[in-house]
Amino acid sequence: MSGTVITITSGKGGVGKTTTTANLSAALALEGKKVVAIDADIGLRNLDVVMGLENRIVYDLVDVVEGTCRLKQALIRDKRVEGLYLIPAAQTRDKTAVSPEDMIALCNDLRREFDFIIVDSPAGIEQGFKNAMAPADRVLIVTTPEISAVRDADRIIGLLEAAGKGPGELVLNRLRPDMVQRGDMLDIDDVVDVLAIKLIGVVPDDEAIIISTNKGVPVIFENNSLASDAFKNIALRLNGENVPFLNLQPDTSFFQKLARLWNG
Amino acid sequence: MAPERVTIKGTSKGVIVTIGAGNWQNTLRTLAQKLEQKSSFFKGGRVAVSVGDRLLNADEIAAMGELLTEHHMTLWAVRSNAEETRQAAISLGLEAEADTQKTSSRAHKSAMPNTPGGSNEVVTIRRTLRSGQTIETLGNVVIIGDVNPGAQIKAGGYVIIWGRLRGSVIAGAVAPENAFVCALELKPVQLIIGDAIARAPADDRRSKVIPEIAFVQDGQIVAEAWG
Repeated sequence: MSGTVITITSGKGGVGKTTTTANLSAALALEGKKVVAIDADIGLRNLDVVMGLENRIVYDLVDVVEGTCRLKQALIRDKRVEGLYLIPAAQTRDKTAVSPEDMIALCNDLRREFDFIIVDSPAGIEQGFKNAMAPADRVLIVTTPEISAVRDADRIIGLLEAAGKGPGELVLNRLRPDMVQRGDMLDIDDVVDVLAIKLIGVVPDDEAIIISTNKGVPVIFENNSLASDAFKNIALRLNGENVPFLNLQPDTSFFQKLARLWNG
Repeated sequence: MAPERVTIKGTSKGVIVTIGAGNWQNTLRTLAQKLEQKSSFFKGGRVAVSVGDRLLNADEIAAMGELLTEHHMTLWAVRSNAEETRQAAISLGLEAEADTQKTSSRAHKSAMPNTPGGSNEVVTIRRTLRSGQTIETLGNVVIIGDVNPGAQIKAGGYVIIWGRLRGSVIAGAVAPENAFVCALELKPVQLIIGDAIARAPADDRRSKVIPEIAFVQDGQIVAEAWG
């Protein structure tokens, strides 16, 4: 088996990298894949909290890299679904505790055991970002329909291109169709127009996300919201399936717009 | 398409190879041919390669170094306008510096008035300039692609953008008289031509988009339909 390493990044903080990582990892596991999520945000770990696995942490990423424990010991198994694991970040160290070479070596070990290795990148473009980017086969760039987030995503895409990691694929998070319709929010076209990369998913703004994050249960386990469906669809697309975009608004013209984006 | 531009010059500081825009594989082939013809002349020389705005990774630079070694020359420095390329050169243990052939702030101050051929030089970029990316040259700039918000161009002469301009442009830093900026969609965050400065009008909501050219008239920047 040779797994795929997918890094989730954004540049700007607070746009939903960790939520995306947790949900895509869980969704791929529900599809029967063997998945490990890695929190590369050393010093500011929170993927474990969002996944509700905080109380199970014994060893972390830095322990593995420094040889304090074996890789298997740092893998926390998520009991809610078969085949989902987490390697948490260290909380007491900083980004310099791990190098890009360490991440490549670690992911190469994990590739033998897992179908997907999902790396949650820290915000920013410094060492932590470089660590997260080094092992990536594919990169998902998360942005929200805000000018500042799009600007940072653009910067990230430029850095990816320069590093030979391709332009990446775009996840547009927290879209509010009602605001777009009133002309108060950038729409999908506006964002794709500037960034000019492939759109792999649009996730609507959804209270269910906040509730699930606070409970430590990824929203896709709850199974009853548009956001949950959106994440499941992205997971299917990562898996190579051709899934049409969700109809976020019961309005044909909007739907046609989405369909056109996906097909074109 | 024009042949890949590669020139080899001997100077008091060693051999300088200047590489223009174009397909990298073809460029390497052109360089190999030129070395074939001239290697006896430059044999044993140390070489600085000036690559302008081209993005090169460490492997590509190393391949170029090997090619030079085959012709009994040593690559010791890479001159580039791209930070990424300079970092790649440094990672190979080479010297890296801004491409003073065409640009750099130092050249801007000291060598500007009599830079040989400075403002006739055209830097052509065949990609979209993204946020944080900068092109700086004493000559002119042609971009085939968009200039996104957060990207910046500084040019001694004119700037032509075959795409959307939504970043910032400084044109006419050396030769303001004949400087202009044109784009298929002219919506810069900020536009400076010579001493004149302008911002795109704020009320740009979905008005019709036409190619425009901006230039200085009576000390003010004016824009009119391009073509």
